[in-house]
Amino acid sequence: MDILSQQLFNGLTIGSVYSLVALGLTLVYGILHIPNFAHGAMYMLGAYVTLTMMLLWGIHYWLAMAVSVLVVGLLSVLMERLVFHPLRNAPPIHDKIAAIGILLFLEALAQLIWGADYRSMGTPYGEVINLFGLTVTMQRVLINVGAVVVMLLLYLFLKKTMVGSTIIAMAQNREGAHLVGINTNKVAMLTFLISGGLAAIAASLAAPINLVFPGMGHLVILKAFVIIILGGMGSIPGAILGGYILGFSESLGATYLSNDYKDIIAFLLLVIILSFRPKGLFAREGF
Amino acid sequence: MLELKGLSVAYGSFTAIESIDVLVQKGEIVVLLGSNGAGKSTTFKAISGLEKPRQGEILFEGKSIGGRSPGRIVESGIVQCAEGRKLFPKMSVSENLIMGAYVHRKNKKAIKHSIKHVYELFPILYEKKENAAGSLSGGQQQMLAIGRALMAKPKLMLLDEPSIGLAPLIVEQMFEVIQQINEEGTTILLAEQNANAALGIASKGYVFESGSIVVQGTSEELLSDDSVRKAYIGA
Ligand SMILES: Nc1ncnc2c1ncn2[C@@H]1O[C@H](COP(=O)(O)OP(=O)(O)OP(=O)(O)O)[C@@H](O)[C@H]1O
Ligand SMILES: [Mg+2]
Repeated sequence: MDILSQQLFNGLTIGSVYSLVALGLTLVYGILHIPNFAHGAMYMLGAYVTLTMMLLWGIHYWLAMAVSVLVVGLLSVLMERLVFHPLRNAPPIHDKIAAIGILLFLEALAQLIWGADYRSMGTPYGEVINLFGLTVTMQRVLINVGAVVVMLLLYLFLKKTMVGSTIIAMAQNREGAHLVGINTNKVAMLTFLISGGLAAIAASLAAPINLVFPGMGHLVILKAFVIIILGGMGSIPGAILGGYILGFSESLGATYLSNDYKDIIAFLLLVIILSFRPKGLFAREGF
Repeated sequence: MLELKGLSVAYGSFTAIESIDVLVQKGEIVVLLGSNGAGKSTTFKAISGLEKPRQGEILFEGKSIGGRSPGRIVESGIVQCAEGRKLFPKMSVSENLIMGAYVHRKNKKAIKHSIKHVYELFPILYEKKENAAGSLSGGQQQMLAIGRALMAKPKLMLLDEPSIGLAPLIVEQMFEVIQQINEEGTTILLAEQNANAALGIASKGYVFESGSIVVQGTSEELLSDDSVRKAYIGA
């Protein structure tokens, strides 16, 4: 029983990170129909920027994370302007190739700047606490709480503000958005900004319990794709639910099936869910 | 108020409209007639900035607006209620209307006022205000599309085949509302295949055929023109 609740908490923690990454991916897909593989590189850079801020300038963890959100968010906008925007009228395969190209380029760049070593990130929240009978580190609690807060803020932004509504409007009907006078270029940039920011938050939260290295985005982005496919491409509730489902399955699978094969679980889940619901858990079309 | 001078628009190498001239005076209802594929929607897309003119000029209140972004054109006072309605299907009726007032987003009071006005014009929208736009019937969606366009307080409203797919009784109501909107001060450019009903409320019309204007004149002239009667009225 004790192991079970410990593993459920772990699942929740991993799931929080997955959901945040998948949210950024699904937002961009929902608006621009770009499968942004480079999102994995944004995740990786998010961790490196936070780490560098903390090591080099001794900036506090939170402040470092804020800088990272800003840097990666702007980088993400830059990527939209320089690569995806010029490709907007090209066949969809070009976006895919470009996205993979960016991923490889940024990874090589990270290796050049920071080297190929695995690094660990310190956290001011390393202490172990007792939470309803579970022994957990403060950092893990922080990941869970942080993810929920970010999701709530995102929800409020999308549903309750006019600027947020423009994102939803564009996802539901691009031409309709044009017709009411929305500048869809701005919406595209805003979406990439948010998407990059989410990746940076997810990476900065998760880095202290994982390792930081140039290829750290690989498995994460693959799993994030699995999540948005099984949640329904472009669906926001799908990305959140899918992230938690994967987190729970992995941590339970690692304990009760096999720790070595836990990374396969995502893909097994994909096969099973798509056999029953070929369009994913939530049908797409406008979040 | 709106003047198209020698306007041509092409999709790739295919020229959809070629050198057309249209004049819409303030306060008028003008109708563009033409069968499927004649180029009516393309003309509207060019006016709204969704397609760039290949040649020619689009003048609105004396200023050239050809090549401006769709957003700027809505801001300057031209709003289109497009073919296929282009609503936000998962947003509620009231959310769709609020999005329609996007260019007036800073003025909350004016938005409230406009919504009230739209609900007066289309009481059914008030009843359904919490429903998702995608769940409405075709006619109700058309009313919502017109309502959403009104929310931007246009000086000139482009209506692309508002009667398409509607029951005859609803079509009649629709045209009454269009006339009412016009009487309240909005100039209207209408694209229609239902020539009889459209010419009934319009002051003049242009007949499109494969991308060019072949006949033009006042409503009376067009209604009595044999070729127009044959092609669009079936008499
Ligand atoms: N996006 C596009 N790409 C290529 N060709 C197009 C495109 N849109 C329209 N066309 C072509 O341009 C011509 C004019 O089309 P348009 O939509 O303007 O006609 P319409 O008068 O609105 O017809 P309808 O009454 O059927 O709506 C047609 O031959 C059509 O096939
Ligand atoms: Mg048309």
